[in-house]
Amino acid sequence: MAAAGNLEEGVLSRLEKLEARARALALKQEETKQQQREEVARLRARIRQLRRRRDELKGKVSLQQAAPGRQEEATSSGAEPVQTARVRERALLQWKVETVEAMLRVFYLTGISGKLTERGVCFCLSTAYGGNYLDSYYLDIVITQPVRIHRHSVPVFIPLKRIAAKYLQTDIRCFLATLSAHLNAYVGRKYQADYLQKHFSAFLGGHWQKNSLYNMLAFNYDVTTESSTFPFRVKLVYGDLDRSLPTEASVSCKEDVPASLLEKAATHSSLFMHMALHKAFDTFRKAAEMPDDME
Amino acid sequence: RRLDMRPLKEAIAEAVVQLCQENLASIKEAAVLDIVYNHTFQNKRVWTVYQMTKATGGETDIFDFTAFKRKFKRRIQSSLINVTINFKEFEDNAIWIRIAWGTSYTKPNQYKATYVVYHSQTPYAFISKSINRSNLPLLCQALIVASNYGDIREMELRSHCLDSLKDIVFKRYSQTFQTHHPKPLQERNVAPENVDPRLIQEDKSEKERIQRVNREVFGDGPQPKLEFAQYKLETMFKSNPKMVNVSERESFRCLVKFSSPHLLEALKSLAPAGMADAPLSPLLTCIPHKARNYFKIKERKGVLAASLVSP
Repeated sequence: MAAAGNLEEGVLSRLEKLEARARALALKQEETKQQQREEVARLRARIRQLRRRRDELKGKVSLQQAAPGRQEEATSSGAEPVQTARVRERALLQWKVETVEAMLRVFYLTGISGKLTERGVCFCLSTAYGGNYLDSYYLDIVITQPVRIHRHSVPVFIPLKRIAAKYLQTDIRCFLATLSAHLNAYVGRKYQADYLQKHFSAFLGGHWQKNSLYNMLAFNYDVTTESSTFPFRVKLVYGDLDRSLPTEASVSCKEDVPASLLEKAATHSSLFMHMALHKAFDTFRKAAEMPDDME
Repeated sequence: RRLDMRPLKEAIAEAVVQLCQENLASIKEAAVLDIVYNHTFQNKRVWTVYQMTKATGGETDIFDFTAFKRKFKRRIQSSLINVTINFKEFEDNAIWIRIAWGTSYTKPNQYKATYVVYHSQTPYAFISKSINRSNLPLLCQALIVASNYGDIREMELRSHCLDSLKDIVFKRYSQTFQTHHPKPLQERNVAPENVDPRLIQEDKSEKERIQRVNREVFGDGPQPKLEFAQYKLETMFKSNPKMVNVSERESFRCLVKFSSPHLLEALKSLAPAGMADAPLSPLLTCIPHKARNYFKIKERKGVLAASLVSP
């Protein structure tokens, strides 16, 4: 009897516990449902708020777009004056833009142009020789105390550090002018050498010597007279790095040559000093075609 | 059946030997031929860049190749008699130097020659990684003596591609500069998409931003070709501070190595492919500008954040 009573008690207490748990769970569910409902209501209210704001802004925009038109309509009759006013405005703006672009292009063509950056200026040095525009080199300069070159695309054999040490802090115009002169002279020398090798290869012998800066050039070339061809060797030294003409030109040939050729060597030497390489060879070629003229 | 090339190779080798004997070829011709071979297949070797400083020469130095050769040879041969030194100049103003090293008692080993590439009037030399490092100081000495510099140091820049190393230090690679005259952008594989206009790309503006940032950092042209970037971390391990005993904090030594057949192009394509955020970490993008691909990262004193320390 006692055991059965216990059993019943056990079962009953179990049932009670389960009932209690069920009640608690139902309460919790009710709570979460309530929370969710509140959340949904809150979001719905937010959506309505945002929609209202959007409509407000849309209204403002359409008002603004309509406003100038409305003013014009109020003063004049018909829509045509409105149109011409707008067209005129646009044409004026276009003209202004084209003028500015043309100015920028002019600056670019002069060889030194720049653009303001956040921290300083970015200069563009464009080079040219003999009527041809060649490479452009850039300098990204940061305006701090002291002025500093952040990045650049100047070739490593141009003495940039030396020029910067001399002028960058004191006179930026002088710095840019000197650097531009060096770069232009370098591309000029390179242009002459490359042009010569490309277009006058028939005249040239071998033993071509040059260096990275193209400020030393040595090669053999053939000189034709009425009787035979003689090999000459020329060594050009460009002592001034900002010039594209040599400071020294020594032309040499073998010892056992007629005296007239020695004279020729001297004339050639002075020719190289005063004339661009390819132009000098152009005169040689013309002289070869008309042997009587050449002295 | 596989084609047996050996008889053919032997025949060619014998013909070459015959030719050499007929023309009284010496070690010099063989060495020059070796230079030509290595110049053609230069990307087989790993090149290290060295920078020379404290120029002792005049301002407008006219580079004299003969004097260079003489001074170089003299400096090396004054310490070591058993060496073979040969020079060859190439079209792009590159001077290739081949040095076969011996010792006081042995003849030069022609099979393990060191190659040096030097461009006149530049402060850089490119040395192919030689297994024997004991001759390196002598080589460096000879270089600075011959090219009129006072000091030389090894840069943290190595690669197989010699031309790319030159591009980086000679500043020949494509950099972007702010200018009013942007170069015309090449139309690169942008086929007009016949896309249904009803399809909207949600992240179109983000994609355009990534392209723009990428172009600003990497430029439009081809990148120099590097195979790896190595970062040696000597920073503190950052974790839940409760877990680590503060007094036991020591540097967490770690080596991160990025390798790729073309590292910089791979980095350039990371953000557009969606695999990384743009802009990329400056630790990765500064490689050509700082001319190094081996880095040591230490703690910044005072602030616990990793920063770049260049020795």
